[in-house]
Amino acid sequence: MTDTHTRDTQWLRYMVLHQEREDKPHQHAGTVHAPDAEMALLNARDVFVRRPECVSLWVVRADLIFTCTQEELALHPDWIESLQPSGNPVEKYYFFAKLTQKGQFTHIGEVEAQNPTHALKIALQAYPDTHGFAWWVFPVKAVLKSTPDDIAVMFGPAAVKDFRDQANFHALSVLRKLMRKQEVEESHES
Amino acid sequence: MYGATVEPIEDIRTDAEKLAGFEARIARGEKIEPGDWMPDEYRRQLIRMISQHAHSEVVGMLPEGAFITRAPNLRRKLILIAKVQDEAGHGQYLYHAAETLGATREEMLDALLSGKAKYSSIFNYPTLSWADMGAIGWLVDGAAILNQTMLARCSYGPYARAMVRICAEENFHRRQGQDIVITLALGTPEQKAMMQDSINRWWWPTLMMFGPHDTDSSNSAVLIRWGIKTKTNDELRQAFVDQTAPELMALGLTIPDPDLHYDAATEHWHFGEINWDEFWNVVKGNGPCNAERMTARRQAHEDGLWVREAMAAYTEKYQS
Repeated sequence: MTDTHTRDTQWLRYMVLHQEREDKPHQHAGTVHAPDAEMALLNARDVFVRRPECVSLWVVRADLIFTCTQEELALHPDWIESLQPSGNPVEKYYFFAKLTQKGQFTHIGEVEAQNPTHALKIALQAYPDTHGFAWWVFPVKAVLKSTPDDIAVMFGPAAVKDFRDQANFHALSVLRKLMRKQEVEESHES
Repeated sequence: MYGATVEPIEDIRTDAEKLAGFEARIARGEKIEPGDWMPDEYRRQLIRMISQHAHSEVVGMLPEGAFITRAPNLRRKLILIAKVQDEAGHGQYLYHAAETLGATREEMLDALLSGKAKYSSIFNYPTLSWADMGAIGWLVDGAAILNQTMLARCSYGPYARAMVRICAEENFHRRQGQDIVITLALGTPEQKAMMQDSINRWWWPTLMMFGPHDTDSSNSAVLIRWGIKTKTNDELRQAFVDQTAPELMALGLTIPDPDLHYDAATEHWHFGEINWDEFWNVVKGNGPCNAERMTARRQAHEDGLWVREAMAAYTEKYQS
């Protein structure tokens, strides 16, 4: 065995945010590794869009996402209050929340802030109905997005692969029929 | 808290308080998220399980990949390609879940390629005929779904979410396997014989997939205590036999276990003892295909080196 694998260095980790339909918010799908955002978007398509439900993909470097959980906030209830704007220029941040225990991180909205912690503070005040269990904020400008032109090219091919849908196989109904037949035969024998 | 560089929030609780709080959260059915406090052993067990699971998906592409060029028609070929692609994707979902615990993808791949890491022993058995595509889909993926459905409820959020996604896709895998088995079992005598031979070879290794008996499984107690597993190896194995045995028999196939019978008193199918010597032998690396699988993985990784180098060179060129 050669040592080729040890010569690799790990690429950047990108979070993948996936929108199933126009009327649904973007949700976290997972991550991919890639040397740049453009490649990350292509990888994200290969890894997360093998089924026909995608109209938009976003990728953002995982190390640019500021994350916080309810447990972390509860440990220091006054931490969030103590956060101050930093004097940096104001920019737009996306705000994502995990709203249910089982749920996925979901796009809630945008806020304008001077740094990530400040953005979290503003977002929790701006969206008081989102009493979630964990939150993410990250700069809007850090996101690379698929465009409407990409829909047909990137996501279209999955739409015609209907054999990936288990409903297109009739194995269960065949099995049930055979098992019923067997039961009838056994009851005749006894 | 991971991600952007900001001051971490200090946790001033004692270890005993942290553990009590953690176990109370699990008892309430809450999901633990990256950033939340967790015992080192919880993190260690999860990294072990999730990375093994990821490796299994990746190595699991090989036995079926061998039959892509030999599929009996175009539709079956498309289905098999789609299924193998799914396994590659599932490996990616799972490596991601392990990364949220602090493991790096590089470490995990190194562990796999150096032979240090384990993966499901089932993939060290050879695929000898097209019927094996049916047996793998129905038996192997069927067994995996039982395990994964349980893990979709596990206490660690990122693992549970990866599992929800995987389970949805695995159902297609099992269904296409059943479709192949039904077609062959109800086909010509030669097709039926080929299917029977395949069931004879895959039945016992599939039962071994659930792992050692509960009494011999060193990790079971702690995994159940912390909500990583909610059912034991033996419970899942029994559920698999109860579900699968009568369906295979309805197709006129036999199961290679003279002790197998329905026990009306327990309302379960009783089955014979597994050959544990065979199981441990394969786990230790002496199965029929262990060496072949590792060689194929290393070869694939080395063959991909120029692609990785080209991608890195492209980035360097256009970002500088």
